[in-house]
Formats: sequence, C-alpha cells, structure tokens
Amino acid sequence: MKILRIGPLGITTHQRTFAVGLLMFAVLAGLLVFALSWGKADITVLDSLKAAVGIPVGAPGDFVVGQVRAPRALTAVLVGATLGLAGAILQSLTRNPLASPDFIGITAGASTGAVVTMWMGIGASLWITAAGAAIGALVTSAAILALSWRRGIVPLRLILAGIGLGFVAQAFTQYLLTRMDVHDAGTALGWLVGSVTGRTWTHVTVAALILAVLVPVVLWHARALRTMEMGDDTAKALGISVGRSRVVLSVAAVLLAAAATAITGPIGFIALVAPALALRLTRNAGVTLIPSALMGAVLLLAADQLSQLMPATLQFPVGIFTAAIGAPYLLWLVWRASRGGPS
Amino acid sequence: MSRLETRKAVIGYGGTPIVHGVDVQIPDGKITAIVGPNGCGKSTLLRALIRLLAPIDGAIALDGQDIHSIPTREVARRVGLLPQSPLAPAGITVKELVARGRTPHQKVLRPWSSTDETAVMSALHSTNLTTIQDKVVDELSGGQRQRAWIAMTLAQDTPLMLLDEPTTYLDISHQYEVLELLHRLNERQGRTIVMVVHDLHQAARYAHHVIAMCEGEVAAAGAPEDVFTEELVSRVFDIDARIVPDPVTGTPIIVPAHGPGGAR
Repeated sequence: MKILRIGPLGITTHQRTFAVGLLMFAVLAGLLVFALSWGKADITVLDSLKAAVGIPVGAPGDFVVGQVRAPRALTAVLVGATLGLAGAILQSLTRNPLASPDFIGITAGASTGAVVTMWMGIGASLWITAAGAAIGALVTSAAILALSWRRGIVPLRLILAGIGLGFVAQAFTQYLLTRMDVHDAGTALGWLVGSVTGRTWTHVTVAALILAVLVPVVLWHARALRTMEMGDDTAKALGISVGRSRVVLSVAAVLLAAAATAITGPIGFIALVAPALALRLTRNAGVTLIPSALMGAVLLLAADQLSQLMPATLQFPVGIFTAAIGAPYLLWLVWRASRGGPS
Repeated sequence: MSRLETRKAVIGYGGTPIVHGVDVQIPDGKITAIVGPNGCGKSTLLRALIRLLAPIDGAIALDGQDIHSIPTREVARRVGLLPQSPLAPAGITVKELVARGRTPHQKVLRPWSSTDETAVMSALHSTNLTTIQDKVVDELSGGQRQRAWIAMTLAQDTPLMLLDEPTTYLDISHQYEVLELLHRLNERQGRTIVMVVHDLHQAARYAHHVIAMCEGEVAAAGAPEDVFTEELVSRVFDIDARIVPDPVTGTPIIVPAHGPGGAR
C-alpha cells in the first residue's frame, strides 16, 4: 500500500486513487472546455473560456457561452457529481451495488414531490421545487425503511421495497399529470425526462450551494462509512457511532439525490454506474467518495455532449441517453450475479 | 484486579433475556476463556462486555465506570474486538485491513501519524504477516486471514482484547497457530485476552481463567483445574466424562466416559 500525504492537513490517499482522481479531473476539464467552445456559433476556445467566467467578449459569445453553454455544462458537472456521491453512499451503506437512488425509488419520490409543487402552481421557484423534491424523497425513504425494517435494515428487502415504492410514486406522479392543465403537464412531462437543456446560472448556484453544505458533512463521516463496510460489530468495536453515522449519511444521500432531481429532473443510471466505475479504476477496497463524484460529473457531462453531437432529429434529453448507457451495465450486473460471482 | 466486569447483568435481544444477572470479573493481564454449550449466552456476554448490547438490567463496568456512559471512541481505545464473522471489504490488502484498526486513534483532519504506522508495523510483525502485507485478504488461507483480523485488533492497541470464537472454522494446525499467537501476546505484551472457545482442552491449555456458562448463568469460574470437574462437565455439557491430565502440560483433558457405542 503506497500512501500519499497531501498538505499540512495530512489527508491521506492511495497513490493510485490520487492518480486516477487527477486523471478524471483532467478529463473533466477537457470535456468542459469542449462543452464551452464546441457548437454552431463560431467562437474561439479562448473567447468561450473568457465568456464562461464573465469576461465580455461581445456577441455571440456573451450570450451563447455565458448564458447557454456555461450554465448547462456546469449544471451537468455539479448534478453528475451529486448523483455519483449519492450513489456511492447508498451502495456502501447497504453493501449492495444495486442500491442507487434512481433504482430504489428515492428519485421517483423526489420527482413526485417536485411535480406536486408544479401541480400547486408554485414550482416556478427552483428552491421550492427543490424543497418539494426533498420532502418527496425523504417521505419515500422513510416508507422504504419502514417496509424493510426487521430489527435492522435487511438490504434485499430495502431494494425490493424501494423498487415497489418507486412504482407507487411514479403512479402518483402520473395521476397528478392528468390533473394538471395541458400546458403545465407538458412542462412537467418535459422535466420528468431529465435534462440539462436550458439550465441557467440559478440552477448552477442552487446545485453549488447544496453541494457546499452536504459535501463537508459526508466527508466528515467518510471514515465511518468505510468502517461500517466491515460490519456493524467491527465498526462499533472500532469506536464508530454506527447508528448516528448511518442516519446522517442516509439523510445526506437522500438530500443529494433530491437536489439533483430538482435541478435536472430524474436522470437515471449515473448514480448506479459512477461509484462502480470509480471503484474499478482506483482499485480501492471499499467506497471512494471523491472519485465517485468526479466520475459522475464526467459521465453526465460526456453523456450530454454526446447527445448534442447527434443529428438534430436524434437529439435526446440526457436522461434518455444515460439510460441507454446504464441499462447494459445493469444487465451485466444481473448476469454476473446470476452466475454466482461477486456482485 | 479487574478492569472489566459485569454487575448483575441481564443481557438479551429485544427485551428477551439470554444471560440472567451474571457477575463476571475479567482478570487483568490473563487469558480468560468463556466456554459452554451452544446457546448458553457466551457470545451474548462477550457482546455486552464491549457494549454491542446494552444490558436489560444491571451494568457492565469498564475501569469502574458504566461502559455505556463512556464515549464509543474511548471504549474502542481500551477494548478491542474480533467478531465471529467480520466482513473484509473486497480487494482490501492485509496492511490496509490492519491499518483500519487505528480508526479509534484517528481524527478527521489528522488521519495518519507515525504512531499509527508503528502500531500497524508492529501488529504485522507479531502476527508474522510482514512478508504478505500487500496480499489481498480474500486470497489468504483461513489461518492467515484470521491472523490478519487479529493483527487489526492488535493495531487498535487496546489493553483488553475480546475474541468471539477465534479458532472456529480453522483446521487444527491453524487453531494452535492462533492460540499460540494469543498466548505470546498475553505473555510478552501483557494484554488481557477474553475468548469464546468451544474446545475445552484448548481452553484448559491456554486460559488462566475459565468462565463456564450454562443456560445464561455462570456455572463456574476460576482456574481450569478447579472449573473442569467431572461433576461440572456433566452438569454443563450433559456428558458423562473423565478428567485426565494432559501428558504435555498437565492441564485437564475431558474424555467421554464411554467408548464408541457405549450406553449413556
């Protein structure tokens, strides 16, 4: 084990994890430059970077990059990271690679909460949508826990209860859509596909603020999370307050998933795939939070860029695109599990 | 002297008592073996001793203080535990696993120090794992894996170590390898060791103090020679037995009184 010490804080990481992290960061930066500068409008790379940080470069850069491409790309980065982090926490807590928020009904609950705000006609403010999503996600999670609780959490029951409740939430969302007027229902339907198109600096700010609050909380409990992977008894014997850490981390993961949903609508598979890929690349034993977040950001931004590269008739919202990437991975997981391999 | 003891402790799960009001003292600097038939409450007692279970009634005292009033992390600096079936994260190496034993000594912003490194190295050394420290735990033999877990508990650097069936699932040479290791740790480092074991012969050979449990009560406690009597073995384990001295150590060996096919 080669350990790397970073700075006076003494944050330690494996050399490989650090190298992979740097690499993902570089890929993310490259993708970001591409996302800002590539497009129909003829703007130089330098001008688009300037416009993205608010330095005036004149038309069309100021608008196309400053108001369209930059907030869209940054939304993808922040929401991708949020999803990657939420997935990593939930998969680690349940010790199950299938436990991502979109899979166990949390995202569906968040969507219902957000659609309720639209149905009530108060969904115009992103903060209110986010609050609705958070309430929806927390209520759904509480119900999942109540259904799967048998003297502690039984992971398989949790996943089955989550899938079931996810369908209930979806049905309720659809019922609400039939009760809304056509125009609002159209907006809600478009939102429900999951997309970063047309996102503004408000979306970026909300995402950044939520991450700024939740990331430190999660990182503070990172050691507890890693230790709990060795079983509750071992973790308690190693001095971890298992009960409290589990509550804090689960609530944080649910809120992260809810925030991501509120900002872009439900985007599937990023939370499922990113932590697994990060684990594979870093070859870490147990959860890797920061690489999972970076991987989520890379995946969502890359998926959005790919969807924009398609011919106009084939341009899907990114939520459909991630499903197309993620579904084969899910099938592979199931196939591996059915062969009795480690899943 | 005893740093860890129970006071009329009633212990169980979900309000159902399994251990009924026992007073147990763990002698300092000695090896204590907890023995008894399946379901007698051995592991339940052990779990309560390290506060994985809160007593329904009575108390567990660590250094004279109610163990449930001591912060979790502080308990973890005084008492270590090797659970019965711990989970090794997939792909973890021996050294990484052992390093996790330092968890109660670390802080969020100061995760790794030279003290930690020294403790891990010395734990690897005392368990003879130095040469395979970079191997992945999943790929080790049963005995090596158990040694790795013991090394993790050692790195925790607690004066008291509790082990729940450390020899179960191991073949006989690995069983003795683990017992010899515990003996050395006790002898050379003066660690207080408490282990739940099934094999009475091994308990008699390696423990200074034996607690025999039966149906949630302490049937007898004391030196192996005093505890393992024909009367006690018959009462606790329900077998008619003869006690003979171990030809090597002189400690008691429990032998069934009938040969194969003999009537009970």
